[in-house]
Amino acid sequence: MSSAVKSQPQLGPQRLLAHPASQAKGLELDRQLQAIFPDRTNEAADALLTTLPVPHRRLERWKYTAVNGFWTDIARSEAIYDDANGLNPMPIPGLDAYLMVFVNGRYDETTSNLPVAEGVSCMPLSAAEKMGLVDRVLSDVERTDWFAALNGKYAADGAFLSIADGVILDRPLVVHHRQQGLGSPTFLRHALHVGKHAEAKVVTWSSASNDASGFVNVLTTGSVGDGGNLKLDKVQNELGSVHHLAMESIDQAANSQFCIQTGTIQGHWVRNDLFIRLNGSGADTILNGAFLPAHSEVIDNHTTVDHRMPHCTSSESYKGILYDRSKGIFNGKVFVRPDAQQTNAYQQNANILASREAVMNAKPELEIYADDVKCSHGCTIGQFDEEALFYARSRGIGDAEAKSMLVHAFVSDILDGFAVAEVSLEVRHRLAEKHGWNRWDEPSEL
Amino acid sequence: MLKINQLKASVVGTPILKGLDLHIRPGEVHAIMGPNGSGKSTLASVLAGREEYEVSEGTVDFDGQDLLDMDATERARSGLFLAFQYPVEIPGVSNINFMRAALNGKREHAGLDPIAAKDFLNLVKEKASLVELDGRLRDRSVNEGFSGGEKKRNEIFQMAMLEPKFAVLDETDSGLDIDALRIVAHGVNSMRSPDRSFLVITHYQRLLDYIVPDFVHVLVDGKIVRTGGKELALELEERGYDWIKEGVVS
Repeated sequence: MSSAVKSQPQLGPQRLLAHPASQAKGLELDRQLQAIFPDRTNEAADALLTTLPVPHRRLERWKYTAVNGFWTDIARSEAIYDDANGLNPMPIPGLDAYLMVFVNGRYDETTSNLPVAEGVSCMPLSAAEKMGLVDRVLSDVERTDWFAALNGKYAADGAFLSIADGVILDRPLVVHHRQQGLGSPTFLRHALHVGKHAEAKVVTWSSASNDASGFVNVLTTGSVGDGGNLKLDKVQNELGSVHHLAMESIDQAANSQFCIQTGTIQGHWVRNDLFIRLNGSGADTILNGAFLPAHSEVIDNHTTVDHRMPHCTSSESYKGILYDRSKGIFNGKVFVRPDAQQTNAYQQNANILASREAVMNAKPELEIYADDVKCSHGCTIGQFDEEALFYARSRGIGDAEAKSMLVHAFVSDILDGFAVAEVSLEVRHRLAEKHGWNRWDEPSEL
Repeated sequence: MLKINQLKASVVGTPILKGLDLHIRPGEVHAIMGPNGSGKSTLASVLAGREEYEVSEGTVDFDGQDLLDMDATERARSGLFLAFQYPVEIPGVSNINFMRAALNGKREHAGLDPIAAKDFLNLVKEKASLVELDGRLRDRSVNEGFSGGEKKRNEIFQMAMLEPKFAVLDETDSGLDIDALRIVAHGVNSMRSPDRSFLVITHYQRLLDYIVPDFVHVLVDGKIVRTGGKELALELEERGYDWIKEGVVS
């Protein structure tokens, strides 16, 4: 697969500009990390870390998102899973699923529950690497992104899931990461493989304790074989002041399907970076996301869908409602390469500013090099419909409830779209809790 | 029921209502007619609590309460209802959930528990049949894709569900064909009762053939300039508004 990747022309503006002050900060972080994790070395990654530009505001990809939070004090964490405070290792109540629990990047065997079945290989990544099931090959993303290269060097563990051809994972795998305590520099690396005509549902759920700080740098690599199907529900619900950077790098073979549904409930600083490559004809991708930041939260969704082969489809919808002084960023890249004729690509990004101080930066970026394709995109930033609010008030519906009805109407299609129904319910429940809404009790009996 | 005294209101600095007096007793149906721009819809908006309208003078007593002191939600919960001239579409919010929230808001105000699902459904069925609103429209998003007539019937359905003490119908006849007009009027008439009052705002006399008022007022330039019985509406239909305007000037 990597040779196919290399044969593709490099598209898009290549403005890889290093900034001396940022490079110095990046190297200082690397030095501190090396002191904390002396055993983690990777020559290829080291080379990248010195040559790739450390993110700063003058790089287009980081124009709207400050990375200062990464240059603060970090400290080695010895945190282990602590159920003394009544925290459930399974974040989704009532869900019958396999479970892998990580605390500050460290696998917690006692609370995990791995699938054991013919054709299903699931274990911590460290074990899979030891057994030679997977190599630490730096992906495309790591060769272009400094933070990803950092992950390539320092990530010691994560979830490894490999589904053999034709096998269907009978229950979802929930990968729960918990960030605890002060200043933990956390790296996680998940490797997911779904074989030909195989299927799996994976939920990645991030949580953090009230006092948690530091950062979480998580890279998920995935490959979906011919006709395979991988569904990824990605939920971020972090208290504290954690900087959370989550990258997905997915390769899809012919006629495969990949769906990723991102729900950001809360997070001090969250950046999602999706890279999806459609490497075989007939592949289909769905990527949706909802974010409802409040206070001074910063939620950034960057997505790249790379149509490399003909007859592929992609459908993307991201919706944001921004409260208080929060900030949202959406950047949706769609490449349609010269060979990708008959591509059908759709992108939508709709945002509501629920406060005068909230900020949204949105940018659709379509680069189309094939001439027989259908690509559409739309982007809106607006406010609550005052007429609709008055209409509801004039019927005796309170302001808060009227707004929550409009919120519901706006994001329901995304929130209902998680592959695992229990995830949809739990995300709604936590959002209602965060924003103090009445529970969204859709009267199903009506 | 409703006592308006010397009401003056403006929108973005332009005075619209210029000292309006109107007293409506329980059980009465009052009609307000008047030429375009005379302030009819402004009166409806001010009564319902639309915030863009600024009341500079006057009082409105609603069943012993100071109406102007309440926000739109409180007014509705206290029993005031406005049937909109242009009902608003709310995509993604089902008509039925919208009504349930409205009804439960009113019940909460009255210290009652939320209505049971079964009772609510029965109530919906009963009130919807009053205006021949079929199930398809009840389940759809609020007013989304409704025809003009369906929107107005939906307004009357909502009124019937909420059983207000006092209802303002703002040009409910506009955009209605004769069949829809008859259905809407039937819905209103079946709700007439000794303790419920209506204020019917209309441009044309036609609606008043179906909803027969006790009093007809003519609003010109922000004031009521003439009051009469239902025959005044017929006279207006025949002679237009000019003779009244001239009478006001002289």
